[in-house]
Amino acid sequence: MMRFSSFKYLTKTGLHNMVRNRFMSVASIGVLAVCLIITGVAALFTINVGSMMDYLGSQNETEVYLDRDLSEEGLAEVDQRLRSISGLTDVIYVTKEEALANMRESMGESAHLFDVFEGDENPFAAFYRVVLEDVSRLPEIRPQLEEIPGVIELSAPVELAQTFTNIHHAVSVICMLLVSVLGFVSIVVISNTIRLTVFARRKEINIMKYVGATNGFIRYPFFVEGVAVGFVAGLIASVLVLGGYQLAVVYSAQLPAFWGQMVSGILIPVEQLWWQLTLAFFGFGGLLGSLGTAFSIRKHLKV
Amino acid sequence: MIVFEHVSKVYPGGNTALRDVNLHISKGEFVFVLGRSGAGKSTFLKLILREEKATSGRIFIDGKELGRLKEREVPYLRRNMGVVFQDFRLIPSLTAYENVAFAMRVTDIPERKIASRVPYVFNLVGLSDKMDKFPDELSGGEQQRVALARALVHSPQLIIADEPTGNIDPELSMEMMELLAAINSVGITVVVVTHEHDLVRRFNKRVITIDDGTVVDDCAGIGEVLL
Repeated sequence: MMRFSSFKYLTKTGLHNMVRNRFMSVASIGVLAVCLIITGVAALFTINVGSMMDYLGSQNETEVYLDRDLSEEGLAEVDQRLRSISGLTDVIYVTKEEALANMRESMGESAHLFDVFEGDENPFAAFYRVVLEDVSRLPEIRPQLEEIPGVIELSAPVELAQTFTNIHHAVSVICMLLVSVLGFVSIVVISNTIRLTVFARRKEINIMKYVGATNGFIRYPFFVEGVAVGFVAGLIASVLVLGGYQLAVVYSAQLPAFWGQMVSGILIPVEQLWWQLTLAFFGFGGLLGSLGTAFSIRKHLKV
Repeated sequence: MIVFEHVSKVYPGGNTALRDVNLHISKGEFVFVLGRSGAGKSTFLKLILREEKATSGRIFIDGKELGRLKEREVPYLRRNMGVVFQDFRLIPSLTAYENVAFAMRVTDIPERKIASRVPYVFNLVGLSDKMDKFPDELSGGEQQRVALARALVHSPQLIIADEPTGNIDPELSMEMMELLAAINSVGITVVVVTHEHDLVRRFNKRVITIDDGTVVDDCAGIGEVLL
């Protein structure tokens, strides 16, 4: 174990090296910060899509639209087949009058616009509202719903859930690729930065060897430098990503449209995730920093 | 103190630097290792410092066989020997004091001990008034003495000087050699590696001559120092 005074001295040396080697330090902090930012944005996106899917899952109702010309017998058969599908917790028949009433209700003050559709003018069709036990079973239940004669369409949430799943998947794959490429680039750039320090300090390293410094003492300042680079990048990424996210939350709350309301209702508030994200940025930054240092030391610092 | 038993060193590539070297340097001796450049002097130094391992034969320092030393034991071996190089190897951005303190800081010695030990070794080499100067403000001879102070800081049993007079004025080399002799007089083994016949001739000490990788002569000095 090293003395506290030695620890302090060597840590100071490492930080001093980072400042002295500022051009390369800035370059490696920049690359690493970009890597962390992309990772962070991807993580936020994934977390939010996850929460959105949970939301859709809690709204696990799907509307089943029927052929308008469906006969009484056809309707009875649809009813019977719907009720025989396992995985549905509820099957509700909504008449066209109820559909119109629901619409008027959702329009609030503009409900009077729908007055003209009363009675025979009603453009709505009767449909079924089915509730899924588990929204993830949708892909398997969906074809069973669609193959029922008389069913012409399934409602949007089904499509939405599928779309989100697809986006989620695509984003994860793209981000994993980007992050691994950028992570690799960060390690290379950091290890180059450390190599420059090793080169600039070769005299001191040589002297340290002759006066009997242990390998740990010789290597430690380089790890300080690498990890410090990682932490600075982590700090930058935290500020930018969380700041940007907060802006997105505030901005989306002001959006008047359906999407804005939906998104602002679902976006996880910054208060709930800032510390995990910051911790992850610092941890990941420090990890890449020390990996870069380790590679560099293995190659360039013969002790 | 230092024992070589049938030591040979062949570098990768086939260059034979030392061939079946046998020698014995006792504790408290003052020894010159004389040889032209390329004779094998630097390999001899590197072997003692355990920077290189012998290809065959055995080397003992203070009874420890270097070939059997674990990597992590090497730094502790080096703390028992002080090295002075021809090119001084001082860190230009640190003062003389800090250069010497550096050797203690990187070997986990408490600040309190550093603060008392460093002025003491500066006093030994007669540079107490120049501790706060930077290396480029000091003469070659003074820089050499700072390097010697650094070599002494761990209270080593052995001082190795590699061409200690190579980069300083002739009149100052005498001063340097006298300093080494004074260090030797308190019981520290001193090994001076040099190619300067003149220097060796002026001191009547044991001289081990190396040529083409082998010990060609090993003669003990007789009588007093010739001045």
